[in-house]
Amino acid sequence: MPPKAVHSSSASPTDAFTSLWKAYNDNTSNRLKFIDVFLFFLMLSGIVQFAYCVLVTNFPYNAFLAGFSSTVGQFVLAASLRSQVNPENKDEFREVSPERAFADFALGSIVLHFFVYNFLG
Amino acid sequence: MLSLIPVFLLALSAHASLLAVQSPRYTVTGAKGSEVQAEPVSLAQKPSSPVALHGKETLKLTFQIVDKETGKGVQPHQTFLRFYDEKTNEEGIQPVRVTPGGKAKFELNLSKPPLSLPPTPDRDPLKVTLFIGSSVYDPLSVELFDLILPASQPAPAHPQELTFHPLPEIKHTFRPENKQPPRLISAVSVGIVFAPWVVLLGLWSQVAPRPSHLFSPSILPFILSLGAFETLLFRYWIGLKLGQVLLYGAILAIPTIFTGKQALSSIANHRLGRK
Repeated sequence: MPPKAVHSSSASPTDAFTSLWKAYNDNTSNRLKFIDVFLFFLMLSGIVQFAYCVLVTNFPYNAFLAGFSSTVGQFVLAASLRSQVNPENKDEFREVSPERAFADFALGSIVLHFFVYNFLG
Repeated sequence: MLSLIPVFLLALSAHASLLAVQSPRYTVTGAKGSEVQAEPVSLAQKPSSPVALHGKETLKLTFQIVDKETGKGVQPHQTFLRFYDEKTNEEGIQPVRVTPGGKAKFELNLSKPPLSLPPTPDRDPLKVTLFIGSSVYDPLSVELFDLILPASQPAPAHPQELTFHPLPEIKHTFRPENKQPPRLISAVSVGIVFAPWVVLLGLWSQVAPRPSHLFSPSILPFILSLGAFETLLFRYWIGLKLGQVLLYGAILAIPTIFTGKQALSSIANHRLGRK
């Protein structure tokens, strides 16, 4: 979601970030923030798992694959859910109601979790 | 000589006509024609000392082939001298010309050595054997003497020589066993991997919207069936077989579809009604 009001006069990067953060906080509904927090969590979790695989060991490899792919897959599903339920994108997803988007999300998640548990061994 | 015994036995049993080699004799002459050595060859006993050729000397061998019974000279169909190196298993075969009267003369001139002589880089003695073949008579093979030739170039190695040796035994190397990292690192890593959950729950506690109709009778069944699906998949991890999971999942899908349709349409009605 693009920030709406960035003060054009502030040139320093710190100011730009604070204003971006402020705009996000002010203009984003709690429902979207709820999804954003979930996306952030998935990103962190994936990064941590990948770092563990690179730095410590990738044994057992199937567990790493399951864990990492579950974060990536869930991130993709949650991101598409977020873009479909965002009121600002209403024109783009005229055919897709938020309920339909959630049903897709639930179905996709169940299929994803099936594969993840399959890999988990 | 042992190898000749079966030949003799066969010849005796068959009562075929036999050939004999008469008065075999060799002469070694020097490069200028001077005689160095001349001796008759004993057929009954192989001479113990080999015949040695040096420099450009010439070996001459004369003998006569006769019918053993009548004593008449015979011209056989094939007469060969075989020079055989027992160490390297190399051999060279030279034809011998025989007159109709059975007289044979063979000359080995080292200033013009024949191509088919085996190479003798170590001056190993060559076994000289006379082979006589005829369609009328029994075959005959006579070991004459050992011959030492001057040292020659070693035999050239065949280009594919290397491929005709047994290959070294195949040794399988296996990947080393996977090791668990040390307990401390594992414990710390578990902590780090679970840290995002703290972030998730902490942030959710700030921004989570109040679930308004979560326990209404139209929505709760859908939540429960989704939970049932996750439980089923969790049980799949613990011990269910794939077929069972697919069967139970298919059964569970039917109520989930209906409850989901009901729940989501009720939510949609709420949303549209609010507008």
